[in-house]
Amino acid sequence: MDIIVTLKQVPDPEAPKETFRIDESGMKILNPPNIDPVINGYDENAIEAALQLKEAAGGKVVAVSMGETGATRALKQAMAMGVDEGILLQDESFADADAASTAYVLARAIEKIGSYGLILCGRQASDWDQSQVPSGIAELLGLPSVTAVQKVALQGDTVRVERILEDGYEVLDIHGPCVVTVSNEANKPRYPTLKGIMTAGKKQIPVWDAAELGVDAAQVGSAGALTRVSKLYVPSFDGDCEFIAGETPEEMGANLALRLRELKII
Amino acid sequence: MDFELSEQQQLIRTEVRNLAGKFDWGYWRDLDRTGEYPHAFFNEFAANGWLGTVIPTEYGGSGLGVTEAAIVLLEICASGAGTSGASPIHFSMFPPMPIILHGSDEMKRRYLPPIARGEMKLAFSVTEPNVGSDTTQLQTTAVRDGDEWAINGRKIWCTNAQNADRVLILTRTTPADQVAKRSKGMSLFFAEMDRSAISVRLIEKMGRHAVDSNELFIDDLRVPHADLVGEEGEGFSHIMTGLNPERIVIAAEAVGIGRAALDKAVHYAKDRVVFGRPIGRNQGVQFPLAEAYAHLEAAELMTLKAAWLYDNGLPCGKEANIAKLLAAEAGCDAVDHAVQTHGGFGYAREFDVERLYREVRLYKIAPISQQMVLNYLGEHVLGMPRSY
Ligand SMILES: Cc1cc2nc3c(=O)[nH]c(=O)nc-3n(C[C@H](O)[C@H](O)[C@H](O)COP(=O)(O)OP(=O)(O)OC[C@H]3O[C@@H](n4cnc5c(N)ncnc54)[C@H](O)[C@@H]3O)c2cc1C
Repeated sequence: MDIIVTLKQVPDPEAPKETFRIDESGMKILNPPNIDPVINGYDENAIEAALQLKEAAGGKVVAVSMGETGATRALKQAMAMGVDEGILLQDESFADADAASTAYVLARAIEKIGSYGLILCGRQASDWDQSQVPSGIAELLGLPSVTAVQKVALQGDTVRVERILEDGYEVLDIHGPCVVTVSNEANKPRYPTLKGIMTAGKKQIPVWDAAELGVDAAQVGSAGALTRVSKLYVPSFDGDCEFIAGETPEEMGANLALRLRELKII
Repeated sequence: MDFELSEQQQLIRTEVRNLAGKFDWGYWRDLDRTGEYPHAFFNEFAANGWLGTVIPTEYGGSGLGVTEAAIVLLEICASGAGTSGASPIHFSMFPPMPIILHGSDEMKRRYLPPIARGEMKLAFSVTEPNVGSDTTQLQTTAVRDGDEWAINGRKIWCTNAQNADRVLILTRTTPADQVAKRSKGMSLFFAEMDRSAISVRLIEKMGRHAVDSNELFIDDLRVPHADLVGEEGEGFSHIMTGLNPERIVIAAEAVGIGRAALDKAVHYAKDRVVFGRPIGRNQGVQFPLAEAYAHLEAAELMTLKAAWLYDNGLPCGKEANIAKLLAAEAGCDAVDHAVQTHGGFGYAREFDVERLYREVRLYKIAPISQQMVLNYLGEHVLGMPRSY
């Protein structure tokens, strides 16, 4: 079965917290200087799930990413992990997209790719944590979708997934093409091997722009966004350190519990 | 002129950084204490194909250059692994060089694939207790006996010998008084570490406790003629062709260690509050770190230039030696300032710069001392009389 994986490049969540910067007037999260953006972690879980399915049942894995030129690095990394092809969706008009206009461009690209039995996405992107793009893609393509799964397997054309619930999981069978979002519980993404890096190095990444995709200019980027960020700011956390006194460790523990209750923390 | 790493080189850098990042400071701290070999780390790098970086593709490697090897080792060191992490990988990349460059096809076919897979660990033995930097005086001999050679002698500082399956060993095969030049009459063997003929004695040393260095007592070690590397009598020149690449990757390692220590120091300088303000707000703390950073950058640039020259088939002796000189200085200085920045905690094992301090010192001594590099520059680059 051919699988499409969607990828997003995000600021490195491992970057030291003091490097986190936003552009308040432009209402954007800025990539910290000197720290390269990375593939969204959940998308790596989606890649890993796709590669495992390919290893078990054959087929091809294609990764698509809407982003700036630098996003080719994310696609190359995916290809170094074992993804067969990467496609970059890039056009000036795609800038400042929200979940809706991103889903629109990705859906058009998926239609253009044409051959797929399964679309795997990360369960959310670690920059905005909205989890909306995958459902948007499913809606636009008229496909069923299941979010936040911890396991995905194929039985012929049927996709069997374990969807995470608060107190366990449910098993769902989906027939035919569908969108599934993968959670971090699903797997541990592999590291690319040096051979994989070299194979990826030889492959080209086609760039599809608005014209190539034949998209409606009113539905992409900021023009097609259905939401507007009205304010973006970094909340300030003021720390305050209080020492809890007591004669014995037990007494200190009891006093701590009382104090926490007083502060309505417990 | 183009100073940009290629996309592939950038990806190599990122992925080595990620893979090495799986092994945290605590992993290395523990191994440094117990002296246990970093098997898990080595196996992980083997499984992901990194040991074969410079081994040609037809022998199971990736056929990349010294530039990529330098990037790999720099990132390993920069992850905090230090020499403890670099050496095991270094010893799969560097000793095979003479085999790659001068070995027969049969020899390459037999040995390079298992080396690339990490199934054959290597040691490299040139240095002797009574000879030192004056390699052409070495006393270990190999004498032909039918289809075999019999090796006898003593070697010192043989790194990895406790775990090695094979050792690349330089011997004298024609006595020095019977050759026109002292550098002739030496031969290189890729010998099995036959422990019935080689007794291995661990040397207690200042740092890099996880990776052993040893004294070897070699008593009638039998080596098949097929394991002679390249030409008989040309061992010294065969070794020499691998020395520039080694200097380059050694320089990269020193830069990486400096960078790891500097990162720690910068974080600490921002966090540690003394006299009511972060210590990093004092220029006395900040400037040495900024200066160390600049020196590391410059050393890295020279390292990459030397690597680029080598990979493009151009002479690089001058640059490789300068890179080694500058990187060892810059690495040692950076770690020293990192220790100083940490104050008393810099002296505590728990803060790890203490380990790096013990490890980085090696780079001023081995594989060639700073003085011998200066000898080279004085004589061969500046054209002054040979001083020794
Ligand atoms: C941890 C460690 C691991 C090692 N691993 C290996 C290994 O795997 N395989 C291997 O073969 N070797 C190995 N070595 C050996 C290393 O390469 C040598 O120690 C190094 O080349 C210096 O040689 P030496 O120790 O004999 O010093 P010497 O040659 O005895 O020199 C002593 C000092 O005198 C200086 N000196 C000597 N001659 C001159 C001169 N003419 N002008 C100016 N100064 C001079 C030197 O610079 C040095 O400071 C290792 C060493 C160490 C410490």
